[in-house]
Amino acid sequence: MGGGFGECSCEHCEEVMQPYLDRELTAEEHAEAEAHLDSCGYCRKRYEFESELRVYVKKVCQEEMSPELKAKLVALRLPEP
Amino acid sequence: MDEERASEPRELAAEARDRVRFEEEALELSDQVYRVARRLVSSREEAEDLVQETYARAFRSWQSYTPGTNMRAWLLRILTNLNIDRGRRLQRQPDPQPLEEGDYFLYNRMEQAAGGRTDVERIDDRLSQDDIVGALSAVPHDFRDVIVLVDIGDFTYADAAQILDIPVGTVMSRLHRGRRILKRELAEKVGES
Repeated sequence: MGGGFGECSCEHCEEVMQPYLDRELTAEEHAEAEAHLDSCGYCRKRYEFESELRVYVKKVCQEEMSPELKAKLVALRLPEP
Repeated sequence: MDEERASEPRELAAEARDRVRFEEEALELSDQVYRVARRLVSSREEAEDLVQETYARAFRSWQSYTPGTNMRAWLLRILTNLNIDRGRRLQRQPDPQPLEEGDYFLYNRMEQAAGGRTDVERIDDRLSQDDIVGALSAVPHDFRDVIVLVDIGDFTYADAAQILDIPVGTVMSRLHRGRRILKRELAEKVGES
């Protein structure tokens, strides 16, 4: 990732949030982000929020299939030869 | 010749066994396939049709599946191709608006809506299931597909790339942008409430 944790470190931290949570940063970039998060409550809160948001989105987007559909799928099996 | 003829029933029986095994394995995955399908399309009926078509096609072409490979990804590849064939993807164009909001945008908006209080971490108090589902369905298809596969279906980037027949880098960029679009949509809902 370009930029780095220079003068605009919170801006950069926002930029690397997704690759950080996806574990896509290099070890060095990850360590830089960790160091910033350790000292910056502003960014840390927003990272925790993003992480919880992903869990919540996944949870509420689950919808189970109906038993009727399941029975229809079973009925689609090819007949025995 | 006699030996050849005698081996035919054995081969047929082995093939029938392989097919039954394939069908059973595919059916075991149907709940997971449906959960992804449901979020790729906008209604339960569409999702049910799509899953039925997918399984009908999968059962017909079971011999093109390579045993030992990821069957869930194989089924989802059929499903997403059918979805594209049906033209559902054309219902919405890719998001034409420039996306200026960053990844902190939703949190900042929620904090603002909470009157400066900083306890906005209670996401479920602020955003309902309908808000989330509605916001996700408002994300253009190209971006929504990758969010659904990776964030809801738990597919790896590589699997999502294979399913959608796009490079891994495109999966990553669409996921990054798609999540931001999703948060922008959610921020609008926070503003409405």
